[in-house]
Order: sequence, then C-alpha cells, then structure tokens
Amino acid sequence: MQKVFNNKLAIFLFVFPGILLFALTFLVPIVLSGYYSFRDTLSPGTPSAFIGFANYTELLFHDSRFWLALRNAVLLGLGFILIQHPIAIFFAIMLDRLGGKAEKWFRTIFFIPCVISVVVISKMWLSLLDPTFGAFNKMLDSLGLGFLKHAWLGDSSTALVSMLFILIWAGFGWGLLFYYAGLKGIPDDMYEAASLDGASGFRLHWRITVPLLSPVITVQITLAMITALKQMETVFLTTNGGPGDSTQFLAVYLYNKAFSASQYGYANAISILFIVVCLLATYLSNKLTRSDATEF
Amino acid sequence: MNKKSTRNILLITALAAVSVLSACGGGNDKNNAGTNTGGGNTSGGNAGKEVTLRLFSNLPDRKSGQGLAEQMVIDNYVKENPNVKIDIETLAEEPFKNKLKAYMASNEALDVTMVHGGAELNTLVQAGYVKELDPKEYEGDKYKFLPGVYKSFTFNDKLYGLPRNSDYEVIYYNKKLFDDNGIKIPTTYAELLEAGKQFRAKGIEPMSMNGKDLWSFAAFFQDLVERVSGDQNLMLDAVAKKKSFTSDENFTKAAELLAQARDTKLFQESFMTADYGASQNLFTQGRAAMWYMGSWEAGMATNDKLPEDFRNNVNVLRFPVVEGGKGKDTDLLAWNGGGYSLVSSSKHPEEAKKFFDYMMSADQWAKIVWDTGAAVPAQKYELSGKESELQKQLTDVLTGATSTAGAIALDSGTPKFKDDAQNVFGKFFAGGSTPEQLLAELQKAAETQ
Repeated sequence: MQKVFNNKLAIFLFVFPGILLFALTFLVPIVLSGYYSFRDTLSPGTPSAFIGFANYTELLFHDSRFWLALRNAVLLGLGFILIQHPIAIFFAIMLDRLGGKAEKWFRTIFFIPCVISVVVISKMWLSLLDPTFGAFNKMLDSLGLGFLKHAWLGDSSTALVSMLFILIWAGFGWGLLFYYAGLKGIPDDMYEAASLDGASGFRLHWRITVPLLSPVITVQITLAMITALKQMETVFLTTNGGPGDSTQFLAVYLYNKAFSASQYGYANAISILFIVVCLLATYLSNKLTRSDATEF
Repeated sequence: MNKKSTRNILLITALAAVSVLSACGGGNDKNNAGTNTGGGNTSGGNAGKEVTLRLFSNLPDRKSGQGLAEQMVIDNYVKENPNVKIDIETLAEEPFKNKLKAYMASNEALDVTMVHGGAELNTLVQAGYVKELDPKEYEGDKYKFLPGVYKSFTFNDKLYGLPRNSDYEVIYYNKKLFDDNGIKIPTTYAELLEAGKQFRAKGIEPMSMNGKDLWSFAAFFQDLVERVSGDQNLMLDAVAKKKSFTSDENFTKAAELLAQARDTKLFQESFMTADYGASQNLFTQGRAAMWYMGSWEAGMATNDKLPEDFRNNVNVLRFPVVEGGKGKDTDLLAWNGGGYSLVSSSKHPEEAKKFFDYMMSADQWAKIVWDTGAAVPAQKYELSGKESELQKQLTDVLTGATSTAGAIALDSGTPKFKDDAQNVFGKFFAGGSTPEQLLAELQKAAETQ
C-alpha cells in the first residue's frame, strides 16, 4: 500500500479525475462568466462587443433593482439568524429533553417541510395565503380578525414579509436538525455537574448549551447567509420577484436578466458580483463568530 | 458497523446515485409521440432511413385544444412517413420561453421549435439559432396564409418562421353569471367597471387576470390607449421612441383609466400571484365572470374536461369603448404571436423542412386547429358548419375588425424593454404608483432598451 502512495503516477491517476471534474464544473464556468460579463452578448455564440466594465458600473451605480435584491437577501439572512435559529435551538433543546418515542415523533414532524418538494411548498403557500379561498384568511375571519384579511403575497407592502415567513418556515427543519445533532454531542455529565452547582433552567442552557454549540452555530450562520443569498426556487415559483420588485432576490433577478430580458452579459456580471458577495458573507460571518472552540 | 453492512450501504448509495444520474439524462416532460405505427414497413422500399426529429413546443396539454391539434398533425405525418419518429418535448409558456433560450445558448440540436414572434424570436435570429425561410415557397394554395401575417416573424426583411395563429385580445365572459345576477353586459369602459363593482358586491370575482405573468397588463393598457386615441400605432410608436409616453395626453387618459380598473378592484383579489393556469381555472370554474385573454383559447368551448355548464355559457366580448375616446370597439388588438421555426443546428435539416412544410400546409395545422375549435389560424379557412358558438363569435370579431394593431407593444421592443415594462406594470398594480409614475417609468424603459 505504501508503495502505491509513493508512486507519483498513481497519485496523479487517482486525483486527476476529481480535479478535472472540479475544473470543468466550477472553475471553467466561473472564468467564462467573467469573460461574458465584459461583453454585451445575448447568449454565448451571439455577436458581441467588448464593453469593459460597463455592465458593472451600470449594476453598481444605476441599477436599483440589483441593490433591492441584495437588500432582500440580507434581510432573509438576518431573518434566518435572528428568528429561525433561536427558535430552532429552543425546539432542539425541548426535543432533546423529551426522549423516548415522542422525541422520534416530533423529530419527524418538524423535519417534514424539508422533505417536501419546493414546488409543493410553494403551491401550498400560494393556496394558503390566497385572498379568496386561502385557509389563512379564512382562519382570520373565524377568529373575528376579518379586517386583517389581505392579499398577502400579491401586495407589495406585505409580500416580502410573507415571503420571508415562508422561507424561514421551510428551512426550520434543517436548522433544528443541525442543532439537535450538536446537542446530542454535548455530554450529559456537564449538565449534571452544573445542576449540582445550583444552575437550572435558562441559565443552564445559556452557560452550557450555547457555548458548547458555538461551532455548530458558526457553521449555521455561514450556511444561513449563503442560503439566503442563493434563494431562488420558492421565490421563482410563488411571486417571481414580484409584485413590482418587492420580493426580488439575486438569483431570481440574475435568471430573469439572462433568460427573460436576454441580457446575458449583464446577467454574468451579476453572477460575478454574486460570487464576490457570497465570499464576503462567508468571510464576515466566520470573522464575527470566530471563537476558540470549547473542548470537552 | 461491520464491514459487510458498510459495503452494502455503499453499494446502495452508488446504485441510487447512478439511477438519479440516469433519470437526469432521460429528460422531463418528454414523450415519444411518434411511435412507429406502420408494422413491417421495411418492405416498403421507399421508407427511407430511420430518422428521429425533435420538436420543442409550448403546448403541454396533448389531449385538448392546440396541444391536441399539434399532436394530430404529428400523428398524421408519422403515419405517412413511417421512417420518421418525432420526439416532442413540451413545457408550459414561461418555462418554455426560458428553456428555449437555454437551448439557444447551448446550440441544442432541435429540429423544429415553437417560437414567439417579435422580441423573443429576434433574440433567436440574432443568435443565428433559427433558419431563414423563403417567403415565395409559402405562397399559393397549399399554404393560404392571410396577408400581413409575417410581420412579427420578419427581421431585416428576412423571414425566420411561420405564424400558426391569428391572435387577438378579447374578453371572455360567463353569460350565466351575468344573467343570474341581473348585470348588464358592458359595452363601454364605465359599464365594465360598474359591472365589476356589482360582481364584487355579490362576492364574485369580476375579471380574472394572470397578473404574475404581467404581459396581460400591457395588452390591457394597449387596448385602452387605442380606445382613447383611435390610433393603433400610438403605443408601438412610443416603444420605438417616435412618440413619448409622457407628453401625449392620450397616454395620460389611458393610464388614469387603468388606475380605475385597479382601484375599483376589477381583477380578482389574488391577481398578482395568479399565473396563466390559475387565472384560467378561476374563470372556467365559474368563480370569475370575465377573463381578459387571447383568441387562442377558443378551445375552451369544446374542451370536455371543463364543466358543461361553463362551456355552454362562455361568450366573447370586444374590448369596450371609452367615453369620449376616438377608438371603435371594432378596432382590434390583433397580431400573430405564436409560430414555428426551423432550427439551424438541426441534425436532419431536409427531413425537418419536410415535416415543417407539411405542418404549415393549410390542410394540416390550420384546418385541424379550426375543425377542433382550438384556435383561429393565420391561414385562410373555410367554415365547416360544425363550429362552436364561441368560434363563430371569435370569427365575427376578427372578420368585423376595422383595424388591427399588427403587433403587441410589449413584444415590439427589445427583451430588456419587455422585462422593464412588465416590472413597471407590476409595481403599478401591486404597489399603487400613480398614472404619471407609470408613464414616466414606461418612457424610461423605452429610452434605455
């Protein structure tokens, strides 16, 4: 075995397919994207002219839709971190304490939204929030709150909030599962020792669970930012960025620019900025949440 | 975990991965339309070599309406040419448009594709993805195309596709809902809004609209502009920057009328999230009294999947006149939108052309689509006497037209204009911007296209 690992040819043969695949599916498209972002092309293969940074200056200084899409993505990321994750941690702790058959049941129930196809979820929420026959408005009616009835996704004043709610709801199971797995890794004797010292309830979790979960939280925050930036399917299927631009997200905007507006060069400029923003978000969230991992 | 079970798990995962990969390769929505029907045809001698043609279409419903008509043409062709198989791939309207661009980008070897005239086709032409056609070949009795129907398929005086339908916007209405509620069928715009208020008071959605797709708003606006100004070209000229949206009072008046439709809640409550199918369902299920849509929906009256009660009551209304406006109700927002093109990267160019010509000949698509009541063709057709009531009304609208627009304004600019303008209408309807803002932003969209 040792012989094989010393053989340069063998190393090359084993590693090469992987590198080739990576290059073809990741590096080459990114480089091509960069190339097209400097041109005014309609699609690869159409006649095009080199226009320098024109696409970028247009995007950064004149395109309010781009900034709106970016703002919405950041809002969604914050929604994930500040709303979804605390709730997920809370439920993970509750679930962890439950034990036995009930634990398994609830774990499954919480995870159900994550197994359902995005298309189904989108259509389901479209019907639930429908102003005419939607269950949500019907419920408001029966609670005597009929005056709150609304075209939730169809009105630009409420569309973004409704969209954020749907996305936070749909991703809840994943968050829960990660934290739950993290919790299972914390040894019980930590809690026993702490409760012997007189700690209990909220304090117990604030002092033990949260710090010990911090590696998971760090990863989760990074993932949340990236997920928020990449958000596409649900938005595309429910509002397609509308009404107006109120639920516009970067990936949807990019897609529509490339395929509906036939501004392929421009869309590639968006995609390059998109990569930059994602890298920046990863860097920032790592920087902000860096702490020395607690050993136990 | 012991070694054996680890190995089993790996094996299962590998199998799963492989099956997923192969599923991807299979493609979705594909069905083998042209299964070889002529058993033992090899003895025929003139059967030629086996070819499989690829057709890409925006008609996913193969059992009724235009999808059925398209399928019948294909079946006819395959029957006459047993050596040809036709693989057809279908997607609904919006996904279709997007995937076609993806196909264009990768130079996918389709043979024949459905195309939308105007801006959409122009992109394909610029990319060199579709073939130029010789208009002389399509003159005469075999094809019987109506005069002027090539307009949105012609770029720089070259023809790149053939229209399949005559398209025009009408208002479909459910007569029973009007009668049962004692509401007058509107002939003026004020009456239309009034009917809307009355329906809303009775808890019935007045007019169904596919607001998520946005293009219907632009058509509705173009109709209003014509009714106010009496000029079919005004909006097209504004898109072409020969006139200005902001300095012509006809636009101001039309935009105010559009705001009235929004403010009196003429459209169904969920109109901004309703796509084509959703808006159609609302109407065909009798939950909305009217539907603003094109003549290509003639098949509703003969589609036996729809409730009989609805089919017997669906009627057609011309877009109403506006008080004080110069337009007549016989001025028609008509154009030729959908059609077919030959794809340049086709692997079987000769066979593809043969099939294309067959499909476009007057006794195939045009005849079938008329006989089945699916749409109004772009070719001369004779009444068979078996037309549905809806078809007769649609024919009356077309033959009674005193002027036609020739193009839909949204499609007459660049795709960027279309995207921007649609967004402007979306904001107007959902966000409540003023008529002045609407026009200013439309002007900006036209200038920056």
